[in-house]
Amino acid sequence: MESKSPAISIKNLTKNYGKCRGVRNLSLQVESGDIFGFLGPNGAGKSTTIRSILGLLKFSEGSIEVLGMTMPDSQEEVLCKIGYMPSEAMFYPAMKVKDIIRFAASMRGIDCREEAERLCERLALDGNKKIGELSLGNRKKVSIVCAMQHRPELLILDEPTSGLDPLIQAEFFKLIVEYNRNGTTCFLSSHVLPEIKKYCKHAAVIKDGEVIYSDTVENMTRSNTKRIRMIRDGKEEEFVYQGDLNELFAGFAGHNIEDIIIEEPSLDEIFMHYYD
Amino acid sequence: MRYKMTLYKHEMKVNAKSLIIWTLSVGFICFGCILLYGGLEESVQDIAASFSDMGAMSAALGMDKMSLATLRGYFATEIAMMHGLGGAMFAAILGSGLLSKEESGHTVDFLNVFPIKRYSIVFWKYLSLVSNILLLNLVCSVLYILGFVIMGEEVIVEELLLYGFATSLMQIEIGSVCFLFSAIVKKVTISVGLGITILLFAADIMCRIVPALKKLKYITPFYYSNAADLFTDGKLNGVMAAIGMGVIFVSYIAALSVYKRKDL
Repeated sequence: MESKSPAISIKNLTKNYGKCRGVRNLSLQVESGDIFGFLGPNGAGKSTTIRSILGLLKFSEGSIEVLGMTMPDSQEEVLCKIGYMPSEAMFYPAMKVKDIIRFAASMRGIDCREEAERLCERLALDGNKKIGELSLGNRKKVSIVCAMQHRPELLILDEPTSGLDPLIQAEFFKLIVEYNRNGTTCFLSSHVLPEIKKYCKHAAVIKDGEVIYSDTVENMTRSNTKRIRMIRDGKEEEFVYQGDLNELFAGFAGHNIEDIIIEEPSLDEIFMHYYD
Repeated sequence: MRYKMTLYKHEMKVNAKSLIIWTLSVGFICFGCILLYGGLEESVQDIAASFSDMGAMSAALGMDKMSLATLRGYFATEIAMMHGLGGAMFAAILGSGLLSKEESGHTVDFLNVFPIKRYSIVFWKYLSLVSNILLLNLVCSVLYILGFVIMGEEVIVEELLLYGFATSLMQIEIGSVCFLFSAIVKKVTISVGLGITILLFAADIMCRIVPALKKLKYITPFYYSNAADLFTDGKLNGVMAAIGMGVIFVSYIAALSVYKRKDL
């Protein structure tokens, strides 16, 4: 059986901005058909990684393969198969929504009217409004339509839900799941942890330009990281612990442990733990 | 190829309002000045002789070669200067923002993720710059011919064509230099573009007045597009035009090279 190449394969990517760090020796693999969460706070290197994948940034070291093609050599071919939703969602302010959507389809040389109409309807997007009159949330909707209307093989979404109201967020994730079922791989950067936990199969955590953890979301929350709540020497304590529990217990020797609860931490807690 | 023309059409559409405003402003100011000549004709006859005898100043304005006493001379020394400067300012403003506006407006994340190579983006945007400049000059030329017809003067078609070609080349040269700047910087630098235009215009005046600065004529494109020189010589200075075309070529290739390697 022929094995499908990964949707994204990054090896030892290094990108610096002058003397400032962008990403350092970053390696990451996103399998085809996955919904992959890319976690990290602002400035960790998420956008640098995404912009390198898209060929917007010229990286100094490492290699990137997207859908089996090398970047940036095959940039045009790769971009044919990608839908990208940037975090800022900026367009030409004097143009109407429908003209932007048509322009995006036309730049790809594809007639996407049917899918664009369906998406606009699902997202309650008015095509006759001018971009300059739109709120961030509505600009995000335009961005979603532009990224999805050509039914890409790979969707790259940079903080997609910021600015969207909860109803549209839910609709957006319904669309993501539908597209994923139809074979689209989704690479989704976010710092909203519940949405990663709910929708992603795999996730990676990036800190200071380096991937510090990458696994299934299930394993991430079921790792050897535990939330400990206890009363030690008459004092209430609560913390996230990662490591061998025997070592933790050994550290309690000589202390009076009145009560102890060990439970699975939330994804938020794991995330915060990595960043402490 | 066909669908990549979308970007060209888009740029033409986005800049249409600016093109119309500049074309009508430059065109109708100059057209109005041609029509005004009828009322000024008698008084101009009187002062034409003294204007041609102001030494270096006359040379700077081309009045040592052409007389204000004819509409042809009036056009070459007065109208053409306004047209050249107006057209050059339009070219500078347009060229200064074509590439950098995508970065300053954060639309680079929208435009540069379409399956289109960076050199195509540069090419279609540059083509829109040249098209805008040519359209402005074409419409203005039609208005000037109309002005000559209304004034009952012989239409100097060949001279107007020569001037139209030279002034378009000058404006494309300035637009190309500004286009290169827009490939380098991340913000729209209209002030830099206008500054370059005014400096080059001043350099043309200076090199005609001050003999020590004569070599500036090789730098400023206003020199080879001077209507009084063109109408008198009946041809474009080949060396100057070649330098102009060289600057255009180098600016375009440099813009392409910079933009191709740029982090967006």
